[in-house]
Amino acid sequence: MKIKRILIANRGEIAIRIMKTARMMKIETVAVKTAVEPNAMYLSFADVVYDISDKTSDIPVFLDIDKIIEIAQKTKADAIHPGYGFLAENAYFADKCIDNKIAFIGPSPDAIYKMGNKTIARRIAMAQKIPMAMGSEGNITNEDEAIKIAEKIGYPVIIKAASGGGGRGMRIVRKSEDMEKMFLIASKEAEKAFNDPSVFIEKYIENPKHIEFQILGDKKGNVIHLGERECSIQRKHQKLLEEAPSCALDEKLRKEMGKMAVQIAKAVNYFSAGTVEFLLDSEKKFYFMEMNTRIQVEHPVTELITGIDLIEQQIRIANGEELKFTQKDIKLNGWAIECRINAEDVQAGFAPDPGKIEKLSMPDDPYVRIDTGIQAGSAIVSSYDSMIAKLIVKGKDRKDALNNCKKALDKVWIKGTKTTLPFFRMLVRHPKFQSGNFTTAFIEKDLDKYYFNSEYEEMLAAWLATKLFVEENLNDDSINIDFRQSKEISPWLLNKRISQF
Amino acid sequence: MSNDKLHIKKLYALSSENRKFSFSLPLKHSIKIGKRNYEVKLKQDEKYGTYILWKNRRFPIEIIRSRQNKYEILFNDISYSFTVETPFSLQRMKVLNAQKGKADKESVKAPMPGKIIDVLVREGSQVLRGEPVVILEAMKMQNEIQSPVNGHIVKVSAKPNTNVMKDDLLVEIKVD
Repeated sequence: MKIKRILIANRGEIAIRIMKTARMMKIETVAVKTAVEPNAMYLSFADVVYDISDKTSDIPVFLDIDKIIEIAQKTKADAIHPGYGFLAENAYFADKCIDNKIAFIGPSPDAIYKMGNKTIARRIAMAQKIPMAMGSEGNITNEDEAIKIAEKIGYPVIIKAASGGGGRGMRIVRKSEDMEKMFLIASKEAEKAFNDPSVFIEKYIENPKHIEFQILGDKKGNVIHLGERECSIQRKHQKLLEEAPSCALDEKLRKEMGKMAVQIAKAVNYFSAGTVEFLLDSEKKFYFMEMNTRIQVEHPVTELITGIDLIEQQIRIANGEELKFTQKDIKLNGWAIECRINAEDVQAGFAPDPGKIEKLSMPDDPYVRIDTGIQAGSAIVSSYDSMIAKLIVKGKDRKDALNNCKKALDKVWIKGTKTTLPFFRMLVRHPKFQSGNFTTAFIEKDLDKYYFNSEYEEMLAAWLATKLFVEENLNDDSINIDFRQSKEISPWLLNKRISQF
Repeated sequence: MSNDKLHIKKLYALSSENRKFSFSLPLKHSIKIGKRNYEVKLKQDEKYGTYILWKNRRFPIEIIRSRQNKYEILFNDISYSFTVETPFSLQRMKVLNAQKGKADKESVKAPMPGKIIDVLVREGSQVLRGEPVVILEAMKMQNEIQSPVNGHIVKVSAKPNTNVMKDDLLVEIKVD
């Protein structure tokens, strides 16, 4: 079977990203027009737009399995690409596509299910002898057992609630004298919070780096990796900046971790694009964390240094084609960095700042790639994530890429909402970030200021405040005079000001 | 004000972090760095919207709020709050501040529009700096709103399952 028309079960930049590659491969695309974003940019990239914007519903259509299948059938799409998020890692959805003779552009439902269930994924990794942070195999019932296991795996350890989540019932233990007390606290807390006192123990990895490997596999059982991505710059487990490769890995470690990543993928007969996530500690020991069975937000950094279009590979693999390259053919060339420019207020703890994007212009230098689904006039709506654009830059090495990144950040122009730009402007100037010697604790521990401003910016802002004060209070005529004589004073500025009163 | 106008020779913009910037009147459209004056141009066009052109660089600007002599300005994606004072009002302020002493109450306001999920304190609760007081949901993310000071709660305005606008009062804390 050869895919001729793909329904994109997604929106925003990733919908556009997929449609661009589809167009290059002369495959038609279908996009869904929703009531939330009836004028969204991604719609203009599709060959067919299926319009359901007259209907509003509580859950986004991109999560509605039956509706998506129905749209695929009505528009005669023979394949569905789920993008990331929404139904991308829903084994039932992938299965339903296959049942309806629609190609699911992604891995098998079986692989999605096994890797999605953390207990099963752990068991598979353990059987493959993949290093893991795991301590106890099951739950621990008393403090003596806890001490025994902690001694075996070595302190510090973390006690976690078996039915837990959200940080409750979690306790870090650094020495055996504290274990009894901490075990009881954690267990009690777990019982109170989740109605289940069971806890288990894991090795606590302090200040690790987050390193993930990009995997590609075909339906014939060939699996290769495309090197790693460094994603340690994150806040509350939300990635903000990713780069490829990572300066923490040398060729030997890359080979070793890559081999493990391929091995775990092979254990679930993985095909399509996937990501194996590891934690890397300060002694360069690595631990399997989980596998993501989808295309990821940060996939462009891998594309820029390998020259491989991952969406194209996903489509070819879904078509049943074999990979045209082997591990030996993969060469990592140069350095790539991605900044996630989100509508967030860095000065208010990265709080989302939804609103209408009034102006938007992006650098077009040869070393810059912009993946976006937002244009001037678009709204950042609170129903979806706050991403405005991904700024991806390339350089011949890390220093060069950082330099290009710094230049490109100053050329990005967005008006209408606050953005994460001031954060990245600070980051590229931060000595510890520049050194490469940072961990997932960087944002919480190493920063005293989340943004960058040059010393004159505040003075210019103060000048503007004073200027406004003068106009409003001191020389009543100045507004009119300036307004008539030159374009220096903006009518928009006046409008905005008048509406405040 | 009109009677004072002719006599004012200087204005001060005080930042929320108490930095003072002084400007001579009539206000020049330039800023002096060292011995050189650099022209400041306030501009607007179709492509960029409103901006300040300074030393050949464009900086995006917005006026977020202006109330009496208080201004909140977004300059190159960073917001700054200033109060603009005349020499007289500055003097008056100093006197008032000296009488009042340090502010003893902190108002915790909603940093963004959203829905209150949980209120974690009651009137009289002791709180430490950094301790969460309210859980606010916005854009599917739950945000912990933390106490900026050590103190105890004197007023709780936030109610669970209600929507709030940006800058709505959530709780008031008496600083210990």
